[in-house]
Amino acid sequence: MSALLRLERASLRYGQILGLSPTSFELPEGGGITGLLGPNGSGKSTLIQMVSGLLPPSSGTVEVFGQAPFRNPAVLSRIGLVPEGDRFPTGLKARRWLRMMGELSGLQGPALEAALEETLALVGMEHRADLPFAAMSKGMRQRIRLAQALMHRPELLILDEPFNGLDPEARLTLMDLLRRLAAGSTRVLVSSHILSEVAQLTDRILLLFRGRLLAEGSVPEIRELLDRHPVELRLVAESAQAVARWAVEHGELVALRLEESGAVLAVRNPRSFLPKLQDAAARGELPLRALDPIDLNLDAVFQYLTKDHA
Amino acid sequence: MPIYAPTLPPRPERGLGDPPALVLARFDVRRVLRQRIGMFFLFTLGVWLLIKLVMLYVNHLLGTKTQLAGVKDLATALLPQGAAFQADFLSGPMLFVIWLLAAFVGGGLVARDTLHRIRPLMYAHPVRPADYWMGKALTAVGLPLAVMLPFILLPWVLSLLIAGGAGPVWPTLPLRMIPAALAIALLMGAVTLGASALAATPRAGVGWSLGILFGLNAPATVLAKVLDQPAWQALSPTDLAAAWPQLLCGVTPPALGWLPTALGTAAHLAVWAWILRMRTRPSEAVL
Repeated sequence: MSALLRLERASLRYGQILGLSPTSFELPEGGGITGLLGPNGSGKSTLIQMVSGLLPPSSGTVEVFGQAPFRNPAVLSRIGLVPEGDRFPTGLKARRWLRMMGELSGLQGPALEAALEETLALVGMEHRADLPFAAMSKGMRQRIRLAQALMHRPELLILDEPFNGLDPEARLTLMDLLRRLAAGSTRVLVSSHILSEVAQLTDRILLLFRGRLLAEGSVPEIRELLDRHPVELRLVAESAQAVARWAVEHGELVALRLEESGAVLAVRNPRSFLPKLQDAAARGELPLRALDPIDLNLDAVFQYLTKDHA
Repeated sequence: MPIYAPTLPPRPERGLGDPPALVLARFDVRRVLRQRIGMFFLFTLGVWLLIKLVMLYVNHLLGTKTQLAGVKDLATALLPQGAAFQADFLSGPMLFVIWLLAAFVGGGLVARDTLHRIRPLMYAHPVRPADYWMGKALTAVGLPLAVMLPFILLPWVLSLLIAGGAGPVWPTLPLRMIPAALAIALLMGAVTLGASALAATPRAGVGWSLGILFGLNAPATVLAKVLDQPAWQALSPTDLAAAWPQLLCGVTPPALGWLPTALGTAAHLAVWAWILRMRTRPSEAVL
């Protein structure tokens, strides 16, 4: 199968700062969702800017549909980009803005109007497109951003942190729409710094950290990597000793530190440890008052992975 | 449960549709016309134009009706017929009001896109940076030009209608004043777009535009006086704009000579166009 997107040792520098180390990967043609996962500052947006033709690579090559995307209308007309951020001219009405974006993609006349109405219906905004942006919720504005990227029927849809700030309902609606698009012929590349978000959408993930591609694989493979990471949990309990004793007996402990109000445990496999802890607390075996995961975030996990790969 | 793909509109064929620069300019002009400030300027300049036309017509009446001969001298003093009268169609307070219009419109054009991070979105469409500059320039140059043209063409047409070639307005006025209007509009567009590219908000863009206009005018005047070299006035875009109608209508002596006016205009166009280009590069847009 030929590649829809191919990076070959593509890197990007912002002056002296390395935004993305030489990176190579391919996305196949046809529909599907690929998650771009990494903590803030990992190079996700940089990668997206290169793929969407906003910036040329400093070295290496980026090919989309077999051509370099930078300043290439033939490629750009087949890409839809939903960049990060939520700033719109407040007094402007969404329909006017979308009409201009459609015209920039080469639509005009009845075809433009038809595309506008179809896309608005697709994102569920057909009855609210005449509202000014200032009167829209964040979720509504995100749907309008998605509509501008879909109006010209892109084959590659790129979304940079599309779930940021969305309420759960808007998040689910957007995920459902992306799944439906991917079920057709649209390849969706979606970036996020939250694993659970990406895991709900796709089984194929690219992991980025500190400007380099750290791993590429399926969600189970990534989860397996993450499970090897000892996670620190702070247990607040009336008796720190009781907690420590229980943890030694039941937990896959890597380290234990007693504190005045409880204990800090470093456990090897939090996904098997946490249900045991929950059961013990429910049965009253543990005088537990609170549980605080100290480093159960992606940044810590990535740092662990980097050490692991060093 | 199978998941069905939604129906998307058909993909547009490449090469169809309006050029991106035209799309951008049309969007900006419509936005300006919807704004109250745009309407205010158009109303003010419309009233000004009407007064000019009425004065022209009254002058004609004074010249042809013998019963009004008593006030004819006064009218002649008000409406002299020489080169200065012709150049006056684009000068003085009217030109100042058009500068303000250009600053308010052009000052926000690029800065608004910077504030709302619109440029990354545009460049992710089949829009080249050159399309973007052209689109903005069409608005920033085209709008002042469109405002100035009636000030040239309507008095000219009126004069031809009421008095033919012997009227107060030279029959060759459009040949002289349309190039002058174009030079002025280019100056206005370049300065205000450059200023807008330096700003992060539309309000700051307007501030930059006005700051550059007045800020350059003061040192230009001081240098011209202190060094006794009127050519230093060419530093000031407003003085350059005032010089073009005088030069093209043959006012003697003009406030600025041909060489400083041409060099000053070329320098301003080059500097502000370079600033616009540098500040709206795709790499600037994404950072």
